[in-house]
Amino acid sequence: MAREKKRWGLTIVGTVVALVFLFPYLIMLVGAFKPRREILQVPPAYLPDNWEPGNFLTMWDTPETPLPFNLLSTVVISLGGTALALLAALPAAYYTARHRFRLRLPFLLLVLVTQMLQPTVLASGLFREFVELGINDTWLAMILVNAAFNLSFAVWIMHSFFASVPNEIEEAAWLDGCSKGQSLRRIMLPLVWPGIVTAVIFTFIACWNEFAASLILLPTDVNQPLTVALTRFIGQYESAWQYVFAVSIIGILPVVALFALIEKHLVSGLTAGGVK
Amino acid sequence: MATVTFDGASRYYAGNDKPAVDQLDLEVEDGEFLVLVGPSGCGKSTTLRMLAGLEGVDEGAIRIGEREVTNLPPKDRDIAMVFQNYALYPHMTVADNIGFHLKIKKMPKAERAERIQEAAKLLDLEPYLERKPAKLSGGQRQRVAMGRAIVRRPQVFCMDEPLSNLDAKLRVQTRTQIASLQRRLGVTTIYVTHDQVEAMTMGDRVAVLKDGVLQQCDTPIGLFGKPKNLFVAGFIGSPAMNLIPAKVNGEGALIGGQTIPLTPAQRSALTGTNVVVGVRPEGWTLKSDGEGIPAMVEVVEELGSDQFLYCSTSAELASVDTEPADEAEAPHTVTVRAPGMSAFQRGEKVALVPQPGAVHLFDAESGDRLPD
Repeated sequence: MAREKKRWGLTIVGTVVALVFLFPYLIMLVGAFKPRREILQVPPAYLPDNWEPGNFLTMWDTPETPLPFNLLSTVVISLGGTALALLAALPAAYYTARHRFRLRLPFLLLVLVTQMLQPTVLASGLFREFVELGINDTWLAMILVNAAFNLSFAVWIMHSFFASVPNEIEEAAWLDGCSKGQSLRRIMLPLVWPGIVTAVIFTFIACWNEFAASLILLPTDVNQPLTVALTRFIGQYESAWQYVFAVSIIGILPVVALFALIEKHLVSGLTAGGVK
Repeated sequence: MATVTFDGASRYYAGNDKPAVDQLDLEVEDGEFLVLVGPSGCGKSTTLRMLAGLEGVDEGAIRIGEREVTNLPPKDRDIAMVFQNYALYPHMTVADNIGFHLKIKKMPKAERAERIQEAAKLLDLEPYLERKPAKLSGGQRQRVAMGRAIVRRPQVFCMDEPLSNLDAKLRVQTRTQIASLQRRLGVTTIYVTHDQVEAMTMGDRVAVLKDGVLQQCDTPIGLFGKPKNLFVAGFIGSPAMNLIPAKVNGEGALIGGQTIPLTPAQRSALTGTNVVVGVRPEGWTLKSDGEGIPAMVEVVEELGSDQFLYCSTSAELASVDTEPADEAEAPHTVTVRAPGMSAFQRGEKVALVPQPGAVHLFDAESGDRLPD
């Protein structure tokens, strides 16, 4: 009886907390379906009188920003940044987890330190560097920046997953006839898969959401990602809030979907049972 | 099937001047079951890992048959290993674990399934073939690890304390199973353990290591009957051999009023005037008439079949003031084996006489056995 009561109490508290957090998203969702004048009407209405799904069509062709290019830009930069980060982090994580070498800990700490610096702090320096390299205002520049800034998280999370696989399992694979590459592919990767998925998803989300560095390093509107493009709808004299909301929805969809995926993949204890 | 030869093989660990394995010379016969035994840190696991290719060889060579494998990667050595923690592949079923090597070697599926079935049958694993290791008991996992080794029909089995994670009863059962399986398959086997009972019961020959140095390699009977030095004498046998320091005079070695005569050969081999007299617990005769080394029973351990008496010896014996050589402990207590259900009581006074032929003599300086 008491337990029943407690469960009800928890459900109610949980619902209230969830609503508080979800409310801005609800405003965004509803706002995306409002015609422009209804957004600005006083007093504001929660639900639109006239639903306007057309916002999601007209937003692609506006004077403020070339949205199709912005979406493409976000996708390319995020995929490129994630791939590059993974490509560099995976061997680093494996090596630091499996080999003891001089300066191993300093190396790992240095990697960690890079996580502490905001891209904003380094933006002006990066700007000059990219000008020198001749890749200023390109996707490549932002791919490099995103990969670099997410490297440390990816290295650390995969490092801990690699380290949790007992050495003997890999040695058993070598004795079973695997080359180092084969044991990595057939034994290690399946075992650290949850770590890789976590690293990939977090890196991808961070790249997708990156704003400050893109704002500075990508002056041309067709190169800008969604995060920067979004600000174009807010002008000095008038703001297209309906597009801000609609674009935001497009912008958060992949992130929401990926977070939902993480939950499924973050199953710990996959290595249970391999060793006593 | 093949012989295994260690030819002056040494292994140094970084930052350590003393080698973990020092100039090991060892020849393992084709089909032989050789046990490497010794206290922890003696280099037995390192030796095994050198053979498997998991540890480098800094000096010397290792050969399997006529083939030199010193610098070959593990995958090319045709060795199967059973690890202490089994090291099963957690993401694969039992069948896939057992068949992994065959799959890597691209054996056709039908033949592979047949081999897996055969191994599973041998090890009573048939009902579990589709399970993942996490759903198995400790004993079953151990058998899967064995299965993964035998399915390969390798030239050499390496086993690194494969039983130490099992409970006592299962360990004794599995001990016999592994030994009989090895004899049936006839595969040359190197087996590492710190448990001297395992070593004595399983091995055709047993190699005793200490501090990376091979002390003695012999049959269990040979090790037990003629330990080459004090370390082997103290290590092999349970309870351990009583090692009593003694001074040598014109008549022989004196322990507690008893004189152990020395042969001329023993006298000439002696470097100083001190010896260590070794008598196993079963090498004593208990007398009640006062003839012998006076002692008092301190603890009685009744095992049913046997009885172990831990006796404190008189001041006279303890006063034989020799620095205990090497591992031998000062003789505060002497362990004596008596028939089970004997009527000895705590505090009872007894007299101990070493049986003729049960006495081992060692040089106190070098720790080496004196010639018989």
